[in-house]
Amino acid sequence: MKKWGVLILSLVLLFSLAVTGCAKNDAGAGGIVKVGTDAAYPPFEKQGGDGKLTGFDIELMNAIAKAGGFEVDIQHAGWDPMLDAVKNGKLDAGISAISITDDRKKVYDFSDPYFDAKQLILVPANSSVKSLKDLKGKRIGVQTGTTGEIVVQKTFGKTYQGIKGYDDTPAAIDDLANGRVDAVVADNGVVLEYLKKLPAGKFKKVEDPSFEPEQYGIIVKKGNKELLKKINNGLKKIREDGTYKKIYEKYFGPMQ
Amino acid sequence: MPIDWSVLVEYKDYFIRGFWTTIELTTVAVLVGMVIGLILGLMRLSRSRWLIIPAQLYVDIFRGTPLLLQILAIHFAVIPTICEELLGVKPPEAIVSGFVALSLNAGAYIAEIFRGGIQSIEKGQMEAARSLGMTYGQAMRHVILPQAFKRMLPPLGNEFIALLKDSSLVTIIAVNDITYAAFTTAKNTFERWAPYIASAALYFILTYVLSRIVFFLENRYRTDRQEG
Repeated sequence: MKKWGVLILSLVLLFSLAVTGCAKNDAGAGGIVKVGTDAAYPPFEKQGGDGKLTGFDIELMNAIAKAGGFEVDIQHAGWDPMLDAVKNGKLDAGISAISITDDRKKVYDFSDPYFDAKQLILVPANSSVKSLKDLKGKRIGVQTGTTGEIVVQKTFGKTYQGIKGYDDTPAAIDDLANGRVDAVVADNGVVLEYLKKLPAGKFKKVEDPSFEPEQYGIIVKKGNKELLKKINNGLKKIREDGTYKKIYEKYFGPMQ
Repeated sequence: MPIDWSVLVEYKDYFIRGFWTTIELTTVAVLVGMVIGLILGLMRLSRSRWLIIPAQLYVDIFRGTPLLLQILAIHFAVIPTICEELLGVKPPEAIVSGFVALSLNAGAYIAEIFRGGIQSIEKGQMEAARSLGMTYGQAMRHVILPQAFKRMLPPLGNEFIALLKDSSLVTIIAVNDITYAAFTTAKNTFERWAPYIASAALYFILTYVLSRIVFFLENRYRTDRQEG
């Protein structure tokens, strides 16, 4: 009998854990817009030691909410869980340096673009590479699931053996530094941020004019026009009143 | 939510490549791990402190820290340092880091299996073999190890299966294994269930075959070499 008691008790405990876990996800709908991010992509978003979220996207989202007249609660969710939660409505929106692509547009609705991004090629300073084409047959480091990977796949084929997909861009750059890949293709914002940390003169960035310009947008669940309108309104306002410029220059230097 | 299986067709090359890579990784790790494990196991059973202490330290370190961190440390720190500073050459491909990390890790676990297996053989067996005039090495090879091996098979089977699944961790250093195929497909297509289920199925096929092989060996030793 005692054994059964223990078994039932542990099942009850397990079940209540699961339930509280669920409740936490669904609660808090009352007017506050829940926004998810993957806070591991400086300078766009990162998490401090105290768990506080900072970065360009975070400040921008807060400013948009203020100007658009709604309240936001930005939480770190991780890339995949964020995408999943916005898709099924557990989160209202996602901001995480998400490039607007046709594939993604099929699954989400995007806000107006808020940042112009482009891909950069990072190579050792003595490399002769002048464009992506020059990387034919070479090993190219990318962050899996980013537009950097898509660009390389488009040029060399979806299953090109030389693509090395890393979980994050810094890992790819580490392997560039120790010679395991010949180049890294990644978003300009992140590459420029990382270049500041690398020993000067060891690497250089190569711009390939054939890369299509990209834009970041905020995603909402497909069909959530109401929230989309609020976000776009806020974005428009902060562009007009100079708040956008102020935040941009804080992170990326003078705006052209 | 409907599962879109078509992404598997689009990314099938990744899965095929990943399937073979996972087999390669596990095979190398099992074979090298067995050698490391046997050496360490025998070291721990010896009488010399100079053999016991290093072996114990090895087992404690590799068993006591996460494999994920071992993979990262070996890939990003140990191998580059050895290659560049000691040998003056470029570090090898990521898969080599995978081989090294998995083999070293497996060696620690297998060492314990060997030690346990050998210790489980009655003392009298060694005494009897030695009294027949065999050297320590001969007694080990012809009397102790064959008997111990039989007892070690179930835990070894366990370890091999665990190793096969643990090999998925090398995906973090961009080795094209099964998990890498699943993650790449998922992140590129926003379709997660199809690739995850496919990768689980591939791992299951591999672990199932492996467990059958171990089971077959167990049976063989049971009938061919009766105890006593």
